[in-house]
Amino acid sequence: MKDQVQSPIGSVSSLAPGQARDAAHGFSWWGPSPDQARKTTVGKPKGLTDKTTTMKEAVHEYVKDGINLAIGGFVNTRPPVAIVHEIIRKGAKDLTLSFQSNSICPELLAGAMLLDPQHLSIKRVELAWWGYEVIGIAPLFRHLCASGMIELDDYTNYGMSARFKAAAMGLEFLPVRDHGGTDMELVNRGKMIESPFTGRNTYLVPACYPDVGILNVTAADKHGNCRIFGAHCTCPEIAMAASHCIVSTETLISLDSIRNYPNLTEIPYTAVDAVVEQPFASYPGACYGNYWFDMEHILLFRNASEEFRRTGNSDALKEYYDRYVFSCETHDDFLSKIPYRTLRRIREMDGGQPIILT
Amino acid sequence: MTEYSPFEMIAFTGSRILTDNTTVFVGTGLPIIASIHAQLTHAPGLAMIFEAGPLAPMLTMGMPLSVGDTRACHKACYLKGLSSVFELTQRGHADFAFIGGAQIDMYGNVNSTFEGGSYQSPKTRFPGSGGAGAMAANCERSIIIMALEPRRFTPKLDFLTSIGFGDGSPGYREKSGVLGSGPYRVITNEALFGFDDETRRMTLLEVQRGKTADDIQRKVGFELLISPNLGEMPEPSEVDLKLLREECDPEGYFLARKLR
Repeated sequence: MKDQVQSPIGSVSSLAPGQARDAAHGFSWWGPSPDQARKTTVGKPKGLTDKTTTMKEAVHEYVKDGINLAIGGFVNTRPPVAIVHEIIRKGAKDLTLSFQSNSICPELLAGAMLLDPQHLSIKRVELAWWGYEVIGIAPLFRHLCASGMIELDDYTNYGMSARFKAAAMGLEFLPVRDHGGTDMELVNRGKMIESPFTGRNTYLVPACYPDVGILNVTAADKHGNCRIFGAHCTCPEIAMAASHCIVSTETLISLDSIRNYPNLTEIPYTAVDAVVEQPFASYPGACYGNYWFDMEHILLFRNASEEFRRTGNSDALKEYYDRYVFSCETHDDFLSKIPYRTLRRIREMDGGQPIILT
Repeated sequence: MTEYSPFEMIAFTGSRILTDNTTVFVGTGLPIIASIHAQLTHAPGLAMIFEAGPLAPMLTMGMPLSVGDTRACHKACYLKGLSSVFELTQRGHADFAFIGGAQIDMYGNVNSTFEGGSYQSPKTRFPGSGGAGAMAANCERSIIIMALEPRRFTPKLDFLTSIGFGDGSPGYREKSGVLGSGPYRVITNEALFGFDDETRRMTLLEVQRGKTADDIQRKVGFELLISPNLGEMPEPSEVDLKLLREECDPEGYFLARKLR
């Protein structure tokens, strides 16, 4: 039995004893504690300074071995691909990844680990979903799981969002209305309690305080005030939850614009440490108002991944990384290998959704 | 006789279940197609909710291929993020949810996490809960789409990801802290199922023309209840098929697939 208070999940569950997370083992934060995270934020200068930098400098400054790295976006929507490419070039070991649903970003990190675990490795993942939706399952995730190479901690999409939100609020946990009565109640790090007011069973998810959040946004000023058009996903919560936040922005806008429409600021400058202006920073993912996702390029990477999973042959995967990641100094180098017609087509497929940059 | 594919039957049946002036929380693929078809026919006041953020978008740019993509957000009435839409479900704003998965049991519990092996070392790991676990918990009624095969309609799930009626006991959902009323329908191309009010067990409501209850039972790994008013599944008309093929999924991403 994991905890004293529980739903009747024990009467349905197929999990063998020993698969449930051991409550007696005690709870630990997979990243900074709330107190440490607050201390980091308190210790930062809060001036409206210029935080623009290069991707290389931003990643080298904040992405270290052993950190909890939160990935923004949602599946193929606004994934922070440019930042992930730079993290792969730099290398980082024993990462904890945290996200709700993502596709190519964790897959790219997983592929880098499978090609050279001495350069980059993932120790554990707290997540809701890892796949490509219409394009298919994530082959490298499946491979890592089947090989028992990563520790897993499963929540729902709301659960992961609420966990980031709790951290953004400076809390230790949030009560939610899901997970209870499922096997996630047994295996994840949440806990069922009786409501102190009514005695009714209520599930608590522990806050997720990442060391570093990585996001791509529609527009930001040089101080880190961010606007997001299209689905916000869980980007504002991740930025506010993380001790440090690296933001790529499709375009830089002025502080005057920000001050004209302060209601449009989804992430305030105090939550952002580095701003990198980078058009097509989510490519081959999508960015509302700018471009749709490029299914062909995602398939190119996924097919190489699937070949590795099925045959163990990593030639195609290695070729992908050599061509599109390691031989590039910058995201612009990567983009220069994508045909102009492709970029033009995905821009047209976005249909020019209205966004406010003034 | 009108020729239709298994996926067209599922989409048509999904549409049939939805009612006008309600909201439906949708995932990629058949749920979106079913909802567009409903909007174009009997439910013009139906609004879709997508988990990345939008409520009531206008899907005039084509069918979304991702629940957060530009097409899914186009001209929405309300567009924030995951927290906002899932909090809408907790507060009672989502009438229906469409979910799917790899396995389902007789109480409408669904597995979308793994099959075989153990949780930390699964033989076949699936993508995970995603939104499904939260939708099954807190949208008022969940509609589950599943291929009719014995290995999927199983007596025992390898992992319970999305809550149905649990072990079938009357207070299971309340003791689990969830709010929605639970599984409402299970759609396959050959049969439509509901759940018995007393026992909360899966009940065969309708079979495809030419099929019998025995045919369906043979493809289900647990004992079904059979409705005393067992009916025949209505089939899509020429007009329905034209809408499905030309308006709902003109690029054929989902309807043109072959059943494995």
